[in-house]
Amino acid sequence: MAAIIQIVVLGLALGGVYALMGSGLSLIFGVMRIVNLAHPALIMSGAYVAYWGFRLWGLDPFVMLPVAMVILAATGVLLYKLVFEREAKSARYSEMTVLLTFAVAMVLEGALATAFTNTQRVTSPGYATDAFFIGSVFIPKGQLYAGITSLVIIGLLALFLKFSRFGYAIRATTQNREAAELLGVNVNLVGLVSFAIGVALAGAAGSLVSFVFSFFPSKHWEWIAVLMSLVVLGGMGSILGTVVAAYLLSVVAAFVGFFFGATWSTLTFYLALFVVLLVRPQGLFGEKPELA
Amino acid sequence: MTELLQVTDVVAGYGDGPAILNGASVTVQPGKVHCIIGPNGAGKSTLLKAICGMLRIRQGAVRFKGDSLVGLRPDQVLRRGICFVPQERALFPKMTVRENLRMGGFSLTDTTDLERRIDEIEDRFPILRDRRDQHAGTMSGGQQQTLAMARTMILKPDIVMLDEPSLGLAPKIVQEVFGIMQVMAEAGITILIVEQNALMGLKHADWGVVLDLGRTLFEGPAAEVLADPRIQELYLGGKKVA
Ligand SMILES: Nc1ncnc2c1ncn2[C@@H]1O[C@H](COP(=O)(O)OP(=O)(O)OP(=O)(O)O)[C@@H](O)[C@H]1O
Ligand SMILES: [Mg+2]
Repeated sequence: MAAIIQIVVLGLALGGVYALMGSGLSLIFGVMRIVNLAHPALIMSGAYVAYWGFRLWGLDPFVMLPVAMVILAATGVLLYKLVFEREAKSARYSEMTVLLTFAVAMVLEGALATAFTNTQRVTSPGYATDAFFIGSVFIPKGQLYAGITSLVIIGLLALFLKFSRFGYAIRATTQNREAAELLGVNVNLVGLVSFAIGVALAGAAGSLVSFVFSFFPSKHWEWIAVLMSLVVLGGMGSILGTVVAAYLLSVVAAFVGFFFGATWSTLTFYLALFVVLLVRPQGLFGEKPELA
Repeated sequence: MTELLQVTDVVAGYGDGPAILNGASVTVQPGKVHCIIGPNGAGKSTLLKAICGMLRIRQGAVRFKGDSLVGLRPDQVLRRGICFVPQERALFPKMTVRENLRMGGFSLTDTTDLERRIDEIEDRFPILRDRRDQHAGTMSGGQQQTLAMARTMILKPDIVMLDEPSLGLAPKIVQEVFGIMQVMAEAGITILIVEQNALMGLKHADWGVVLDLGRTLFEGPAAEVLADPRIQELYLGGKKVA
């Protein structure tokens, strides 16, 4: 029994981080219909911001988190202006954006590898290797702090989407772009801001990931499968769905890891992606895919 | 002249594609109900999209209260006082009824004023108050259409353009939809409606416009259009109208 509680605790601790990693991707997909394959590479960039802040100036990843968000948001605006804005009117928008985000991921990976080499890194503040004990159950401090911070950030995002005027505009554009435009929403501005917010969330996730996982530039390919399984299981574009899926899969992966070994734990996500696409392609909270 | 909106020989299409409208004209008088009829693919929806600024007008004129609307964006046309309810799916299905109403007043910046206006709409259509916290997408087709139409009244527009509001609804519900349209008309809103069922549409209208192949064949008082032998033959299957 204690072992089971331990596994669930470890799964839940990581679930929040996965949720934050996936929510930016989900937001961008919802508003822009862009499957941003560069999202994990952007998370990776955020991880390097936190890593170097710590390495060079001894700044805690939680201090670097807002810095990473700002840097990544600016990167997002730049990317949007340079790459995606002029594709928006293209009839082959969907195909083009998949190729373009793939290209952006490659470029980012190359840039990071050139600048920082392919050495494995991890940010190592004291709490990253420390743990709380409740009876015999241990909770890694780093994962707990990262998980709670992730939930707070996602909670703030949810409040912003639910109650602010701009949040209304984002949700409306996600659900019915044409109707939103007809009611006076500047859908281009909504696209730009949502993209920037989504990429800023990647920056926040990266700062937390930097002390939870070890990383090196090409590792983002591994993350993309994990994130895809989250947003597909959650229902493309549903942030709530992404969060639920993140906790669900994270706990399942913890069990699989415990019983079959760590290699199989990662495979949980790939398998989930495959099964969901076959059995329930709309995911938990998504719309039925349109036939037309 | 007393026209509120005058559309004259408009040429327009999608993107760089072929012209779908090729000489579309409509005369809109204040306070009246105008019905555009025509076969599938005639360009009825395209005409409404061109008026509201979703499509670029390549030739021709659109004058509203004496000003040209050519080249304006949808939000600018909206602010001048013309609301468009597109064919099907005009709502935000995963927002509540209340949130959908708030979106109807998105272009207003004074939120107390907005809440007051929403209150007025809910007084007029109590079903919207009953369903306030329900997701719009979970309501029946008739209720959704009620919401889509009622929502336009928040802005107190001069003209509301409705694209086939009766589409896919049961006959009894269609009657309700036309009832709502009458309520809007009585509130002083000028209506421009596209209706697939020409007989039904013209019966509820003051003015009829016949569109085919992107061109206005003719327009006139609804009763005259209904009685016109060309219409009898083309769109009403030669049936005598009671
Ligand atoms: N988004 C679009 N892009 C390109 N062409 C379009 C688009 N929408 C409609 N068309 C074309 O424009 C023409 C007129 O379409 P429109 O929807 O205006 O007809 P309609 O009179 O409203 O027909 P219906 O009664 O079926 O609604 C059709 O040939 C159609 O193929
Ligand atoms: Mg149509």
